[in-house]
Amino acid sequence: MADPLLRVTDLQKSFGGLTATDHASFTVETGTITGLIGPNGAGKSTLFNLISGFLAPDAGTVQIAGRDLTGAAPAEVAAAGCIRTFQTPRPLAGMTVREALLIGRQQQVGEAPVALFRMPAAVTATERENIDAVETIASEFAIDHLLDAPATDLSGGQLKLVELARAMLARPRLLLLDEPVAGVNPTLRNTLAAHIERLHAEGVTCCIIEHDMEFIMRLADPIIVLDRGRVLMEGTPAAVRSDPRVIDAYLGGG
Amino acid sequence: MSARAARAFATASAAERRVIAVLGVVGLLLIIGLLAGGIGPAYLLYLLGLSGMYILLAVGLNVQWGYAGLINFSVAAFFGLGAYGTAMLTASNTPLGVSLSPLVGLLVGILLAAVVAVLIAVPTLRLRADYLAIASLGLAEVIRIVIQNQRGLTNGNAGLRGLPLFYGEWPLIGGLVDRLPTVLIHEVSLGPVTLLGLRLGRSVWVGTFNLLIATALIAVVYLVVRRLHRSPWGRLLRTIRADEDLARALGKRTYRRKMEAFVLGSVIMAIAGVYYAHLNLFVTPQNLAPINTFYVWVAVILGGAGSNRGAVFGGFMIIAIREGTRFLGDLLPATITVGVDLIDTTYATVAANFAATRLLAVGLLIILVIRLRPEGLLPPEAELIWPAAQEEADG
Repeated sequence: MADPLLRVTDLQKSFGGLTATDHASFTVETGTITGLIGPNGAGKSTLFNLISGFLAPDAGTVQIAGRDLTGAAPAEVAAAGCIRTFQTPRPLAGMTVREALLIGRQQQVGEAPVALFRMPAAVTATERENIDAVETIASEFAIDHLLDAPATDLSGGQLKLVELARAMLARPRLLLLDEPVAGVNPTLRNTLAAHIERLHAEGVTCCIIEHDMEFIMRLADPIIVLDRGRVLMEGTPAAVRSDPRVIDAYLGGG
Repeated sequence: MSARAARAFATASAAERRVIAVLGVVGLLLIIGLLAGGIGPAYLLYLLGLSGMYILLAVGLNVQWGYAGLINFSVAAFFGLGAYGTAMLTASNTPLGVSLSPLVGLLVGILLAAVVAVLIAVPTLRLRADYLAIASLGLAEVIRIVIQNQRGLTNGNAGLRGLPLFYGEWPLIGGLVDRLPTVLIHEVSLGPVTLLGLRLGRSVWVGTFNLLIATALIAVVYLVVRRLHRSPWGRLLRTIRADEDLARALGKRTYRRKMEAFVLGSVIMAIAGVYYAHLNLFVTPQNLAPINTFYVWVAVILGGAGSNRGAVFGGFMIIAIREGTRFLGDLLPATITVGVDLIDTTYATVAANFAATRLLAVGLLIILVIRLRPEGLLPPEAELIWPAAQEEADG
């Protein structure tokens, strides 16, 4: 059998005396939308930070498509095709939405200052391509009317849309979405769900942290439940919903 | 020409009009001062040359703080490395006993600043933004004290004097300042107004050429930073400034980009130092005083963080404010008589020491700007996409 897209093995991370991730092992199979749920403080965001290279684990391994990326820098993880989003996106002050989206494109020739003087034609060519790509993705996400707006003018929900669109501009194989609908109104929540389903249909594997149960149960299969840094269980939405351990964890039992 | 100027003014934004108005008022005051004999032409040229130095410093700090959000409190130190880099090699009393060309001094000054910038950046740029701020605060003092005490290199507190003019050895213009004739402009009486006569001698020609050098340096530096800023590089730095984690999550090499911005900014500051050394022809450790760092920060905040034009404007305004307060003091009557002793004596003290209130004036200005125009007087606008690609897209 082929390697799973993401394999986390026996991952551990403590902050002082607090164990945030405790022997966590799970996989995200190619082509799935895998949900990651758990009560507050279960270690979901820490797990994303460990996978995406923002934190180095104390022990355990992270593999993406069979490649060991334990403790790798965020740039290497991104280069391996794994792009993450953040729970609370900060608007990019002083930039338009178009500029904020352009950042998502990988391998921009003009990011190296020397290239701006030595090969301006190549910079122009890639910049042109990138502008086209931004316009295409903006119309797919129906945010093309916002392209010239200052990024700081967007509502919370629009920011989430822009963030998702920007992550897609990096052409990821694996998307790690940290609470993509937190604080988003119900209409936009449905829009975001539809976009994630569309991306999934286009072949992007997603791993989603979300507190909105209705949202995650509708989108994700399988769902992994975390509690106090450990993987409590993994299963279909129906199995998770009926598992007494999950109810216990959320109600703070035990 | 005037029609074009009028059209340019009509299409200018409100911020641009405000800045044009401020520059117009300052320019008018300078012309009045010149004609009324308040400012000698040579001194006016020296002040303009000095504002060229602040413009370069502000453009340099803008690359670091305005583009990348890097908090550098050792502006004066990088400036000093440039100034001493050239002075140690060119001054007549240098302990090194050499007499090299200012162009060599320029290269050495740039190199010194670049090396020190890398040394301070390597341990701090991976940490949170505050650490660079703290480290640079210390660095400024360390460099100042080293320069003060390494007498065998820098002549210590006595300073280095007798520097040549920057263009002193250049063909054609090198000896020109000594050969140009002295021009006398006679007094003119226009009804009740008498325009004083001017004597344009060597010091005026020297000041003119210094101003030309400043203009050339600013032009080159400005063209370089503008190209860098309106590009994917500038865009990425702005992203790092707003949210570095986001840039990292999108696979960007943020450490490297911050390093580039920091070194480039420091090199521009060193260029300002080299220029100053050959403007003033005398450098002392006093030139590295923290107050100069403060002035440059004020210039960038005043102009608008991230705005190249704003940095140029801010750098100019620093000299206008600093020197303007001095002249304003001369214009005020020395005493007033209200009859209340306390008011009379207080006024006399303030009027006599008006120049000393300039720090108060600068502080007040900063509070007003942050309160009323937190983005500065000339905030950056639509500057983060490679222009050549945009033209194609629009066409």
